[in-house]
Amino acid sequence: MSKMEEVKAMLEAGKAKLVPGLVQEALDEGNDAQSILKAMIESMGVVGDKFSAGEVFIPEMLMAAKGMAKGVVVLKPLLAGGSTAYLGTCIIGTVEGDLHDIGKNLVAMMIESAGFEVVDLGVDVSAAKFIEAIKANNNVTLVALSGLLTTTMPALKTSVEAIKASGLTGFKVIVGGAPITPEFAATTGADGFAPDAGSAAVKAAELVG
Amino acid sequence: MNQRENFQVMLDGGKPEFIPSYVELYNLGLMGTNNTDMPWQGGVDPFGVNWIATKEGTIPEPNKFLFDDIADWEKYVHFPDIDTLGIEHVAQIELPNFNREEQIVNVFSVCGLFERLAAFMGFENALCSLIEDPESCQEFFEAFADYKIACHNRFIDVYQPDVITYFDDLATANGLFMSPTVYRNVIKPSHKRIVEAVTSRGVIFAQHTCGKCQEIIEDYVELGARIWNAAQISNDLEGILEKYKGRLIVEGGWDTSGPVSYINASTEAVIAEAERCAKEYGQKGNYIFTPVLINENGNSLIVGDPRLAPMAEAWHKIDKL
Repeated sequence: MSKMEEVKAMLEAGKAKLVPGLVQEALDEGNDAQSILKAMIESMGVVGDKFSAGEVFIPEMLMAAKGMAKGVVVLKPLLAGGSTAYLGTCIIGTVEGDLHDIGKNLVAMMIESAGFEVVDLGVDVSAAKFIEAIKANNNVTLVALSGLLTTTMPALKTSVEAIKASGLTGFKVIVGGAPITPEFAATTGADGFAPDAGSAAVKAAELVG
Repeated sequence: MNQRENFQVMLDGGKPEFIPSYVELYNLGLMGTNNTDMPWQGGVDPFGVNWIATKEGTIPEPNKFLFDDIADWEKYVHFPDIDTLGIEHVAQIELPNFNREEQIVNVFSVCGLFERLAAFMGFENALCSLIEDPESCQEFFEAFADYKIACHNRFIDVYQPDVITYFDDLATANGLFMSPTVYRNVIKPSHKRIVEAVTSRGVIFAQHTCGKCQEIIEDYVELGARIWNAAQISNDLEGILEKYKGRLIVEGGWDTSGPVSYINASTEAVIAEAERCAKEYGQKGNYIFTPVLINENGNSLIVGDPRLAPMAEAWHKIDKL
């Protein structure tokens, strides 16, 4: 098995601690950083698909995302100057009035693993704060809004509307959360919806690509 | 039959005279667990975790963790002395409201094994720990089970409940947080001790788990749980009601994430949901109707709601069996 294949296998197996060493070995073997990153993003896609299919669970997905993050640390200095594998900046947060962050955190990790630079605004984020963050960051290609509670679903809708009405352009908006159905998502005016973290990463790349 | 007699028939697997509604069946003892595990109105619990009250429940303050590495749990977790928690005092406030002759006394015990681990170290850390360092997790769960057992014994002493409802949410809307194997290897051994300690004192064990957790319902039954609370419709409720009649009563059935639980759901929609629950689950005979109406102030059972009375009236008129 080549070092590149080992990186992919260990990433998919959630062996987070082994990934950075293997990434270094893959570099030493002569692979370029861009190819390794691309392979890792593919592997995260595999993990996301398995999660959506119920073949792996959240801990395994979290460990893979941890491995990805550790591997990217090794690659980052070599990717300076902009990597074509990167898909831009994603602003993410849980909408105003909602303090729950597990779904948002999972989506953030998976979106990062798919090739986005993630700016996580945390929980209880007002529409104004989302807009400020879009203005304050370069190359924002995606804004991701999360809501867990039925009581905060209206905030999801008003936030998307405010972002869309801000006049800012160049990005897509994606929404999600436990009570959010495709039908409700459509009423918010968002460009996309995903039912779980794995498919959120796929949808994000599709919207931006 | 009164609520108590009817409940006993359901427990025994017989045909009840009526399908009970949660609010009419139980006298709830909530305040003991306020002191032992989670302050209902928010604030710091006896372990030092700060809880924040939201409209739909109280949660640990986000991103404020007691420790990051489960191997360190013994350095940070200090178990309180049960005698100092004031359980007797809060019980004295609740006990006079109970009608033991006709209703069932159900005492809540919130923040079970997994929820407590997540309260200490956050969901992501807790979930990773289950597969990264299962041995330390097991050690923690064993120690925490001792605490829960001590709390339950005290609840039983002072409240003399018929039922203890133990809360541990292990699932999302789509499935378990962790694989069934991880649950069985890492959490279940301590969970088993908690169930046995309650049932060995003649008290009925009710397991609360939200989300799609049907893969471990068999485990719950095997452990000795007689009631599954907050059964959500993402599970095969009709199949579960059929399979476990006489062994497990299903409490729930309300579409907690659907349009009927949006804050602006109409009274008609709420009545229609009660009718659906009656039709789809009531006839199985081991079902407790548990409406969850959410309004702008939170859960209607706690904050009140004008839709409750017409819904209850409609519920009583529906032919359920």
